[in-house]
Amino acid sequence: MSDLPPRATVLSEESRGDFSTKLMRINVGPVHPATHGVLRLVVDLDGETVMGVQPRIGYLHTGFEKTMENRTWQQVITYTNRMDYAHALGHDLAYVLAAEKLLDARVPERAQRIRVLLTELNRIASHLLGLGTSLLDMGALTPFFYTMRERDKILDILEMVSGVRMNYGYFRVGGLSRDVPEGFEAMVQAFINEFPERLEEYLAMFADNPIWVNRTKGVGVVSRETALEVGLTGPSARASGINYDVRKARPYSGYEDYDFEVPVAEEGDARQRFVVRAKEMEQSLRIAQQALVRLEPGPIRDPDRRISLPERHELETSMEAVIFHFKLVTEGFHPPKGEVYLPTESARGELGYYLVSDGGSMPYRVKVRTPSLVNVQAIEPASIGGTFADMVVNIATMDPVMGDVDK
Amino acid sequence: MNPAERLIADAVTMLTEDLAGERSDQFGEPHVMLPASNIQEAVRRLRAAGFDLLADVMAIDWSDYPGHSGPRFTVVYNLYSIETVARLFLRVNVEDGQAVPSITPQWRAAGFMEREVYDLFGIEFEGHPDLRKLVTPEDLEGHPLRKDFPIGETPTLFNEGRFLDPASFRAGMLGTDAGRTGWVGGARKGVKSEQGREPAALESGEGGEA
Repeated sequence: MSDLPPRATVLSEESRGDFSTKLMRINVGPVHPATHGVLRLVVDLDGETVMGVQPRIGYLHTGFEKTMENRTWQQVITYTNRMDYAHALGHDLAYVLAAEKLLDARVPERAQRIRVLLTELNRIASHLLGLGTSLLDMGALTPFFYTMRERDKILDILEMVSGVRMNYGYFRVGGLSRDVPEGFEAMVQAFINEFPERLEEYLAMFADNPIWVNRTKGVGVVSRETALEVGLTGPSARASGINYDVRKARPYSGYEDYDFEVPVAEEGDARQRFVVRAKEMEQSLRIAQQALVRLEPGPIRDPDRRISLPERHELETSMEAVIFHFKLVTEGFHPPKGEVYLPTESARGELGYYLVSDGGSMPYRVKVRTPSLVNVQAIEPASIGGTFADMVVNIATMDPVMGDVDK
Repeated sequence: MNPAERLIADAVTMLTEDLAGERSDQFGEPHVMLPASNIQEAVRRLRAAGFDLLADVMAIDWSDYPGHSGPRFTVVYNLYSIETVARLFLRVNVEDGQAVPSITPQWRAAGFMEREVYDLFGIEFEGHPDLRKLVTPEDLEGHPLRKDFPIGETPTLFNEGRFLDPASFRAGMLGTDAGRTGWVGGARKGVKSEQGREPAALESGEGGEA
């Protein structure tokens, strides 16, 4: 597009004026405190001004897609949450929804509500991590401890439910692995009651703090056109005026029943990327509250024997249950042939699993449309023309997760 | 007919009439198969028609698919219209070694996506301004997502004779024998029903689990 600044190409440019500055190509990363993981950037600098940025990625490439293609459909969940470890349940949800579409599984309402509730809490945790670390990159050390404190409370809830504080693997194709434990509702309610006050504190500290506003306002502007040109999605795109949220555009898991808004800003600068995320946390909390109120007792798995494991007590009385149990554990289910793609909204943008089934017990092809990989392409247009220090702010507010980028 | 349906119907009509497209839906999602030479024109026209987000470019290797005949790869383009909420998939069939015209010069979002496909499948995109590997190590030979690329229990070869043999690697870690998991890479169950080898080495004395 015409509004993109030209990429710097030559290094041996003639010196200009009396004070000669030459384009200098420097290497940032792959392990650098400002790059949020192992992201390597080759930066062309003219003095302090950034003239070109080339992200070099792949340091966390694990071959998840290949591995998934050699595991049964249910086993794949072990890998999905290891990609975007900050919003792991978003990946789990995206995968199980796509697989359920293939299978035409009917997920009970209670399972849907718990999924939405936990995914939204996880989204808040992810944004808290993003907010804390991006402020850390700007030199504000203290807020990191506060945001991590709130995030820890969410991790406590997720630990209570799934048994672990990372890589939850709690969802299953067809429902959930088990029901939530006793005391879950009270714990979530306590968090929902407390969090708005905390969020207000953070926003009071930053949203109108002149030091912070000066540091971020007008920095790293990504116009709407540029955002579409590089395929930006998620909160970073919504800060550039693109009103696209999959939860509204194409509701899944019953998101159409929840009352929430999609925060959108026009400026497209680092400040708005930050503010949109902060506002999104409020909305996620609203959704979580509604899901909690509507949580009714009921089954948590599709009763279809071909998809879900039978209840434990059935194994003692029913031979048929034992047979299905054996088949599901050793081989898993066999979805019909075909291809599905189901987009969802992760904390970073449009996340979708493109699954190809050959009718076998393992996916023939798993392609993950990870938002971070595409969003990393926006670092260059956002940073060109700004200073090196602003580039750090841009990376921080774009909030890529490198596990999500490299897969 | 809502705006999304109308947009898709118009697009499909345009693709089938002008660009030799062929509709091939998958689970209710509109897919249109195109000749490789028409992909640039198709993307250009669809973008002008309102598909303003290029969500993804991906590939599928059919070489292991039961009963498949025809070209080895399919490249799938995932286009989305934010305004009307319409999603349309374009498909291009490619033989091994055949190049696809790149859409990166007209749409920058495709840059990383096409590089990823090139890296993992070895499909070349003609006219891509910067077609290099994206995620795999520079000295890795081959394209990992091809179905004939070995996984796990078979040695992974790098340049200059460097290689990883997982079984001996693990045996060295354990100080026991090789191949304790008995997992056989590449063996797929299901329609083909071609079961892999029996798990070996499980009953090999001290090495096995109690």
